[in-house]
Amino acid sequence: MHKSSGRLLALLGLVLTFSLIAVACGNDDDNDATPTTDLVQNEGTLQAVKDRGHVLCGSRDDVPGFALLNENGQYEGFDIDMCRAVAAAVFGDADAVEIVPVTSAERFTALASGQFEVMNRNTTWTATRDGTEGANFLFTTYYDGQGLMVPASTGFTTLNDLADANICVSTGTTTELNLTAVFAARGIPFNPVTFEGFDTLVPAYEEGQCEAMTADSSVLGVFKYEIEQDGGPDQHIMAELISKEPLGTVVRDGDTEWAQVVNWATMATVQAWEFGLDSSNIASYNGSDPNILNFLGRDGFDPGLGLPSDFAIHVVQQVGNYEEIFNRYPQLGVLEGSVNDLWSNGGLMYVPPYR
Amino acid sequence: MTATLPNYETNPQPSLPPNMKLSPIAWARKNLFNNWYNSLVTIIVVVVGAILVFYSGRYIFVTGQWEAVRKNLTLLMVGIFPRNEQWRLVVQMYLMASALGLAWGTATARSQDRAAETGIAAHRPTPLDLMRRYWTILLLLVVILALTQTIWPTLFTLSTLAVGLGVRSAAMRLPLSARQPCWYASAFMAILSFQVVSGTDGNAWWWTSALVSLAAFHLAGTKDFTKYLDSEIIRPFSRHKRLATAKDLIRFKQLTQIVSVIAAVIVVRIAYWLIGETSQVSWDNWSGLYLTLVASIAAITLSFPLALLLAVGRRSSLPVVRWLCVSYIELFRGVPFIALLFVAKIFIDFFLDVETPLSLMTRTIIAFTIFSSAYVAEVVRGGLQAVPKGQIEAGQALGLQPPGIMRLIVLPQALSAVIPAMVGQFISLFKDSSLFAIISVVEFYRARELIHSQQEFTTTAISETLVFVAFAYWALSYTMSKESQRLERHLGVGER
Repeated sequence: MHKSSGRLLALLGLVLTFSLIAVACGNDDDNDATPTTDLVQNEGTLQAVKDRGHVLCGSRDDVPGFALLNENGQYEGFDIDMCRAVAAAVFGDADAVEIVPVTSAERFTALASGQFEVMNRNTTWTATRDGTEGANFLFTTYYDGQGLMVPASTGFTTLNDLADANICVSTGTTTELNLTAVFAARGIPFNPVTFEGFDTLVPAYEEGQCEAMTADSSVLGVFKYEIEQDGGPDQHIMAELISKEPLGTVVRDGDTEWAQVVNWATMATVQAWEFGLDSSNIASYNGSDPNILNFLGRDGFDPGLGLPSDFAIHVVQQVGNYEEIFNRYPQLGVLEGSVNDLWSNGGLMYVPPYR
Repeated sequence: MTATLPNYETNPQPSLPPNMKLSPIAWARKNLFNNWYNSLVTIIVVVVGAILVFYSGRYIFVTGQWEAVRKNLTLLMVGIFPRNEQWRLVVQMYLMASALGLAWGTATARSQDRAAETGIAAHRPTPLDLMRRYWTILLLLVVILALTQTIWPTLFTLSTLAVGLGVRSAAMRLPLSARQPCWYASAFMAILSFQVVSGTDGNAWWWTSALVSLAAFHLAGTKDFTKYLDSEIIRPFSRHKRLATAKDLIRFKQLTQIVSVIAAVIVVRIAYWLIGETSQVSWDNWSGLYLTLVASIAAITLSFPLALLLAVGRRSSLPVVRWLCVSYIELFRGVPFIALLFVAKIFIDFFLDVETPLSLMTRTIIAFTIFSSAYVAEVVRGGLQAVPKGQIEAGQALGLQPPGIMRLIVLPQALSAVIPAMVGQFISLFKDSSLFAIISVVEFYRARELIHSQQEFTTTAISETLVFVAFAYWALSYTMSKESQRLERHLGVGER
């Protein structure tokens, strides 16, 4: 009896050793700024996704308009719709997507480790991220810029008014870095008050812990709208933007096939808009524009992207064109005449021709 | 030196202590208003207390904007669980109620039998006792039900309770031979209840069948069962009224075993077919208060045996075992829980290249268990060290083997000595589950935060949701603490 229990303990010990080794290595990796993506399968993502039967899409759950977990336990928002567009393109079913919420701090590591294969999480495309995070930035779905919001009663209008002010900012994002860089460059002293997320930042701002809050202007618009709706004091978003924030879709480095699939699925929403196609009329198109016929995959046109030839129909029918998606969320602001309008209307939305 | 001793001779019947029972007014006068400063303190406390009660009452019943909680109650309870699959939770609750009722009824029947044998009456809690014991949980239930918008949740809760109690009283009436099957059935229903909400994969029904077949094989092999079948079912209905020989019985037993294994597999298959093998739910859909409860209960029940092994192993005379246990405990106690969660969620994927990785929930629960077992192991070791060496030597003198000494002499004393510390650890564990939010798991507290991401409640009702969540955490922790105190009283720990 004694002997057998000794053997049992030895076995337990063996198991423990293995887990120790595994965890010890895990901690080493924690310190690496650039996770080694070699360990995760970088090729054949499309096939892996098809085998699984659904797309895993990294996003978030706490920004109304972009990505929010609503009271019915469902994700909704602009970024979520972009995830759904990929699912619609690959599977012909916009619901074949599982949203994986991630925090800003862990998003690139999570992407590299294979928690999901596409990410729409208001992520700014920067050189460093492109270079060191093992991430591949695709089409920019929303052109944003960092702004500052103050209660209108303060009368602040320029950055210089904010000398020695407390400014609420969320950590782990480019927002914090921009703020510091711009204020330092202009020699304006300020005091950053950092928060992990907007759910703590906004109440703190309202309580007056800071004279100003900073975020991408789209996000500021959301909170301005909400604070004023709730009967709070009027808010003023300063006209001056302190950064460029192209927000877009991100995939892992190293799999061009998958990158193409995601890119064209996303761009199809803009292309449809440009063609004047929307969810109600795309399936019944009976014109003769050869470009549109190609886009719809009529006559068997297949550009060899690895997508079904009629993927655009599924995307637009189930998710909508860019304009429909954008206008579904009033928090995003006015599309017409903004920087996110079509290139032909003076905006920046411009996609390569589908031919 | 002269001492005055009571004169028992002249006063053979010592008088009873004076009756200390005072009328309320006299009691108040004696204890609260016996001098001017006590009177002042009493008045101040009463006034402050009245103000507090007034304001909190007004907050709860009048000014509080409970709409935020009311509208998002489902989000708080089950988070992202798909709303059109919620019937699974209902089915689980009924199954769970039946499983618990069955186990409770069987245990009660057994303790009644034991009481009849020994002549010591078993303590049977009355419904009032139970209500007093679990009043915080009842209050929580009432609060939650008061916030629901339809009558269905209330009816559902009441019917769940009715099912549980009904099964219990039915189980108590079953004959002795049904007791073993009852335990198995209870365990099977508990497993099945989680299969309902976890979206069974292709393999699940195989291993469940294997488990159930084993249980059925064992049951059909017990003497009680063979005899029962033989005397109650076979012989009354067979034409041959002859007595079965021993050989017949053995053959009969083997036949029953085969039949019951086949029956078990069929039952499991049907159960899984009813659940729906290709359902849309998975463990990763668990969230809200449901997740907090399941993860905490799982981590507590899993970490306890692991901690026992670790604590015993740390005191082992085998150096390798000892070092392994020491390094396990010291490593995981020294690592922040958040780091462990990150490792579980993300970094494990860099090392284990598997086709179907473990679900996030499994990883989270494993990390939770590993972390807490390291702490509990040290608590248990403290208890082990408190047992005097003489106890072990006494065991050796009785000729017990070391495992026997550990199991029969050391552990019972060690564990009962560390109940407060251990339960403290478990309560802290329960609340640590809110750290899951760090890896984007929508547990109870995170669900509350998400309410304030909604347009309607970004800046309103912040305190109401916080109060609700805090109350739920408190109600559950308080019950845990009360139960541990009851266990201590039951074991007579404090009286030694």
